[in-house]
Amino acid sequence: MLMLEKSRRRAPSIMPEVMRLLAKWGVKVDAIYPEARLTDLAKLRIEHDLYFLKSGSDLAWSIAGALHAAGAKVIDPYPVAALMRDKIIATRILQEAGIPTPESYVNSRPEQLVPLLDQGALLVKPHLGSNGRGVRVVWDVDELDDLPSGQGPVFAQRYHKPDGLDRKIYCIGGQLFGVERVWPAQTYAEKLGTPFTIPPELRDIALRCGRAFGVDLYGVDVIVSDGRPYVVDVNSFPGFKGVPDAALRVADYIYATARRVLEGGPARLTEAACA
Amino acid sequence: MKAVVIGPGRIGCGFAGQLLRASGHEVSFLARNPALVDHLNRLQRYRVCLVGGVERREIVVDGVRAVSTADAESAVRELAAADLIVTAVGAGNLPRIAPLIAAGLQRRGTPVNTVAFENLSNAGPYLRQLVADHLPAGSALAGHGFSGSVVSRAVTERLGDPAGTEPLVFVGDPASTFAVSGPELHRPLPEIEGMIVTDDLAAWMKRKLYVFSAGHATCAYLGYLKGYHYIHTAIRDPEIRAVVLAAMREGQRGVAALYGPEFAGDESGLRLILARFENAALHDSITRVGRDPARKLAPEDRLVGAAQLAQRAGVRPARLGLAAAAFCFDPDDPSAARLQSDIETAGLGPALRQVSGLDPRRGLGRLVKNCWARLARGWQRDNVLLSLDRLLWAWTPRQRGAARSAPGSVPYRERSSNGGFALRLERSHRARGRLA
Repeated sequence: MLMLEKSRRRAPSIMPEVMRLLAKWGVKVDAIYPEARLTDLAKLRIEHDLYFLKSGSDLAWSIAGALHAAGAKVIDPYPVAALMRDKIIATRILQEAGIPTPESYVNSRPEQLVPLLDQGALLVKPHLGSNGRGVRVVWDVDELDDLPSGQGPVFAQRYHKPDGLDRKIYCIGGQLFGVERVWPAQTYAEKLGTPFTIPPELRDIALRCGRAFGVDLYGVDVIVSDGRPYVVDVNSFPGFKGVPDAALRVADYIYATARRVLEGGPARLTEAACA
Repeated sequence: MKAVVIGPGRIGCGFAGQLLRASGHEVSFLARNPALVDHLNRLQRYRVCLVGGVERREIVVDGVRAVSTADAESAVRELAAADLIVTAVGAGNLPRIAPLIAAGLQRRGTPVNTVAFENLSNAGPYLRQLVADHLPAGSALAGHGFSGSVVSRAVTERLGDPAGTEPLVFVGDPASTFAVSGPELHRPLPEIEGMIVTDDLAAWMKRKLYVFSAGHATCAYLGYLKGYHYIHTAIRDPEIRAVVLAAMREGQRGVAALYGPEFAGDESGLRLILARFENAALHDSITRVGRDPARKLAPEDRLVGAAQLAQRAGVRPARLGLAAAAFCFDPDDPSAARLQSDIETAGLGPALRQVSGLDPRRGLGRLVKNCWARLARGWQRDNVLLSLDRLLWAWTPRQRGAARSAPGSVPYRERSSNGGFALRLERSHRARGRLA
């Protein structure tokens, strides 16, 4: 089993514990940090029964893509993870699936957003960002000057003031877990948030998100504004912060998947898990 | 000595056959599956992989052969010539093999011992009666020995393809003892590695059932509710671990009251059992351990039997009661499907009375019913228990007639027409079939 992991972490991760549990259960886990070594592409081979991609680095994503092309079995397959990583593509897929999202716009220069500000504030996000990095609320035209220009697509969504806390919904093999947290979360405790029981409407939305991408290990960020839910982000293989016994649950899921793969089954049970 | 093992399955090969060969006995298997018969005769060997903690030992069991039960004449001839007969077919299959054993015994001029390696109380007398029923009136069974046994090893897997050329592998833990009933066996007793002869096999059976098996089932049922796939995973969940340990303590105190504290064992014994549950190499799945809930909830079985014994010892079986209420439904398990259907049509009370003999209005029955009702609050198909202590579920059920409901909404309940407590069941091809 291979893990592609970035070498620097911003907050304590469940992954060391997941790896420790898997190793204790007899799984040989190799963590690979592509940034930390020289990779001869000609020698890149499938050497593991199962892979999972847990990284935000471009190099790790490229290596994962190459392994996928070679036929590697991956829990969070590269093509789908890549779709989910790109907020422009992901949002369009969500819209196509009828999942409520804020009005979303793309362009190449921040000033093109000016007319949209007449209808209210915008949330501008890096289209390949994660963990809330680089996300800004833009209320007035003059704030557009603070946005980076000429650095790729500008992705903006209508800002809806949340009625309460943000809701993170995590899916582990079809099981859904809800965590409420403040936004933006500053401390580790704030990132852990508080587990909550997911109401049926949000449950259905979260399951539809999984079906839209064909995944069963993912996270969905939802805000509720004026009583209406909006999906504002999706992630493949998120951190599962705040999920009770998250490391144990993720390790159990990976172990069961690895067993299934060894018996000739698929790496994902998307249909069964998220139908 | 020549031993015939009926049933070359996990216990037949992974335990009985291995110990018999280790003791120097000739071993032949009687099997229904022609592919398995062919495999064992072609390779004449299989492997037993014993794993526990850091220990991993592989044993090649060779010099074995097999005879098909479809070839009745050959099978009967094997039994007639045996010095020891072992069954390992699953308790429910004993009636099917009883005629074969009876035919074998009829051909014998000397008495023989039959040891049932079955997970069944009173297996010896039960099998004796089954065999007697297939003998002509007046035939003497008195000289023959029939004993059940209490097997210490868990053999969880058979790996390999009977059609292939590689030996099958049976994976189990290293425990290598089994108890048999001395008074029920013919003399001389067979000499088998790991065999313990006891005058009170029922005590051994109860100790295993009410402590080890009760803990195993508790782990499986609560693990299922919390969404785990394996026993070794679920037992690492702190909440489940605490309840499993407490349930085994309740069972152990009941056994201690009946047979004495020395026989029942102490806390260190329970810790050893927890360590066995942690053994990931067994790949022991929650659904395998939780299979056949109707049998596991029977009056004398691991949960209800243990709870009743604990009660008689003055111990309130709160955790055993919780485990009995948490029984899981595997949609692929016919026994579970029947129980599910019974609850759906009659309500919990009558179903509980029928399966467990418990009165849901009082005592243990009321405890189980109350635990069940607590668990059912907020339960919905495929959801997951986040916290056992707080009974916090991953999501709330959809209310009838309400398109939406807020987080923490009032749980759905209804009264059945007969005044009993009833809960709606949701079904689908993949539903866990739990209560909604």
